[in-house]
Amino acid sequence: MTNLRFGLLGLALIVALWLAGRLVTNEYVFFAGYAVAQYILLATAWNLLGGYAGYVNFGTAAFFALGAYVSVAVNKLFEPPLIVLILVGALASGAVGLAMGYLTLKLRGVFFSIATLALAIVAQAVVTNWEFVGGSSGAYLLRPTAGPWGGSYVEYLFYVMLVMAVGAVVLARCIERSKIGFGLAAIRDDELVGEAYGVPTLRLKLLVTVLSGALMGMAGAPLPFYVAYLDPPSAFNLAYAVNTIAMPLIGGASTWVGPVIGAVLLTAVQETAMVTISSAANLMIVGLLMVLFISLAPNGIMGLLRGVRSRA
Amino acid sequence: MTQQLIGRRTALAGIVGTAAIGTRTAWAADPIKIGFSIPQTGGLAAIGLQALLTLQIWSEDVNARGGILGRPVQLVTYDDQSNPANVPRIYTKLLEVDKVDLIVTNGTNLTVPAMPIAMQRGMVVFCMLSLAVNDKFKYPRFFQTMPYGPHGKASISEGFFDVAMGMSPKPATVALVGADAEFSKNAVDGARDQARKRGLKIVYDRTYPPSTVDFGPVIRGIASANPDIVYIGSYPVDTSGMVRAARELGFRPKLFGGGMVGTQAATLKGDLGEMLNDVVSYELYCPAVADKFPDVEPLLKKYQPRAKEKGIDPQGYYVPPFAYATMEVLQQAVTAAGGLDQDKIAKAAHATTFKTIVGDIKFGADGEWDHPRMLWVQFRGLKGQGMDQFVNPSAEVVLDPPEYRTGELRYPMGVAKQ
Repeated sequence: MTNLRFGLLGLALIVALWLAGRLVTNEYVFFAGYAVAQYILLATAWNLLGGYAGYVNFGTAAFFALGAYVSVAVNKLFEPPLIVLILVGALASGAVGLAMGYLTLKLRGVFFSIATLALAIVAQAVVTNWEFVGGSSGAYLLRPTAGPWGGSYVEYLFYVMLVMAVGAVVLARCIERSKIGFGLAAIRDDELVGEAYGVPTLRLKLLVTVLSGALMGMAGAPLPFYVAYLDPPSAFNLAYAVNTIAMPLIGGASTWVGPVIGAVLLTAVQETAMVTISSAANLMIVGLLMVLFISLAPNGIMGLLRGVRSRA
Repeated sequence: MTQQLIGRRTALAGIVGTAAIGTRTAWAADPIKIGFSIPQTGGLAAIGLQALLTLQIWSEDVNARGGILGRPVQLVTYDDQSNPANVPRIYTKLLEVDKVDLIVTNGTNLTVPAMPIAMQRGMVVFCMLSLAVNDKFKYPRFFQTMPYGPHGKASISEGFFDVAMGMSPKPATVALVGADAEFSKNAVDGARDQARKRGLKIVYDRTYPPSTVDFGPVIRGIASANPDIVYIGSYPVDTSGMVRAARELGFRPKLFGGGMVGTQAATLKGDLGEMLNDVVSYELYCPAVADKFPDVEPLLKKYQPRAKEKGIDPQGYYVPPFAYATMEVLQQAVTAAGGLDQDKIAKAAHATTFKTIVGDIKFGADGEWDHPRMLWVQFRGLKGQGMDQFVNPSAEVVLDPPEYRTGELRYPMGVAKQ
């Protein structure tokens, strides 16, 4: 399937979900749908760097929270439409991605991961002392009750997040099947050999760091409207980083579809576990699944499916 | 987000109990569903679990007495994991899927995300343990049961400074210190205003990161400014760290204390023991005022054995009395409204003076108590460690408000071993 057709398929999915949404009267569906779409976007963004290039980023919460806090700051100053806030969030997180790329991409493996973790800690300390956005007390943001095109504002947030999630998946698929994707695969397999063969490794890594950061920032920008209150401990919550790594690993990290499968599956499992077993078991289940998949199926569900197909 | 449908079992207990004495034979109507999100895991679980147990006890009590308006009460609750991001989804589920009739909220940062959901649907919000939430929303159907009163942030320091200014000679300098976190920052902000209002010179005004583990440098910094009084806005871990550091370094100003979270919890108090001697902090309820609120004791008798089993605060002086009072407010408001019409309930809540186990509660226009009633206490006569000594009414002397005073401030701060 060509990228154009895939993009049109994504558009059709959005339209189909929008039409189905017309029949939904229960707002909880949009709240739950928002969470799923948000994780699809975050997992896909993480996968660009972690799955395609093999650079494991523990700093998801930093990019995500930065998008959210920039959104709070800009909204406080100008109260622009949500779309503008999302673009500004993407720009800010993309810029931080670029800066982080320059500073850390000479680091490899676990050293890069530790550097991204440090970024999250530094970013949280900065935000905690940024009084304009509420500092340690947190920021209130009163969301409108109705969306700009009718329906509730939460419904509107869901569709915005859905469009971004579908857009990110289409972008990831385009990258995966392009020269960029092959270059990133070369970096993941053996960076030195790739460089020796003329792959512009630094440029590619910077490109995906920016893209990945920008997408995470976009995911964070609507968060203050969704929650109505944003404080550093919840914006920088460890669960964002853990889930965002677990989803592509479980679904299959080197494919565009892996993070989608992982996000849908893990969100469903977590929601079910929270309701039926205990919420304390929630992150433990994620951890156990990660350990199981890393030990038994390092290429995730997609890897398992490929194995079954090749044996058949 | 474990859902707990507590009411059916307790409703059954109520049916059996009342049938046995021949007053009722069965519930005539469907239960009134009360929904709430509560932290059962994460950083706020220690408080959330106490509130949950108290609400369970309340539902058992009310069902045993015949329910509300002849209908049994059923609690529907989910764990928000102490994460505000989970709260909007939970309250939407409670209202849209579980179809609860009434909602209750808990905690400042976990109540704020619930407010837009409640406001959109015109739901009355019965809230416990939150500070100044309605300052921004100005929602006329919001009612908060903690006795902060109408002054918001100032209530976490007003009584402390009232007590301080009673010293002779009056203090001239103050040090303000707190964690870079929501409650402590609000506390220190309020204290700063109080200090200025009373003409005190602020000689130290700093915050420390919430992850701080060594408080020696903080205390040394304060000591070098030589303040007459020290106001601290802290969370449990830093409360413990600050008190220990002050004792280890022998720092004893005229008055040491403030809005110190944790000095209300039996385990932390027991752990610090005699180090708390002469420290001044706030309480909502303590044995020294037990005779003023005799209905609290029966609740604690039910709460304490169950709390021990669950491994949560075994004394329950802080959260349970006011959590129970929140539900008494809810019950009386619904009864006064004669049904579940949210507008009528809100009007009744504004008009009624509620009789609760923590005394009479009358709400102001902002949904907070119409007057503050934080208790400012000084720890006295503590020996070694152990939480049992806090059962003794003389372990905490109430200094403010005057109508609850059980003793005078002792100053300057003495040594730990007394």
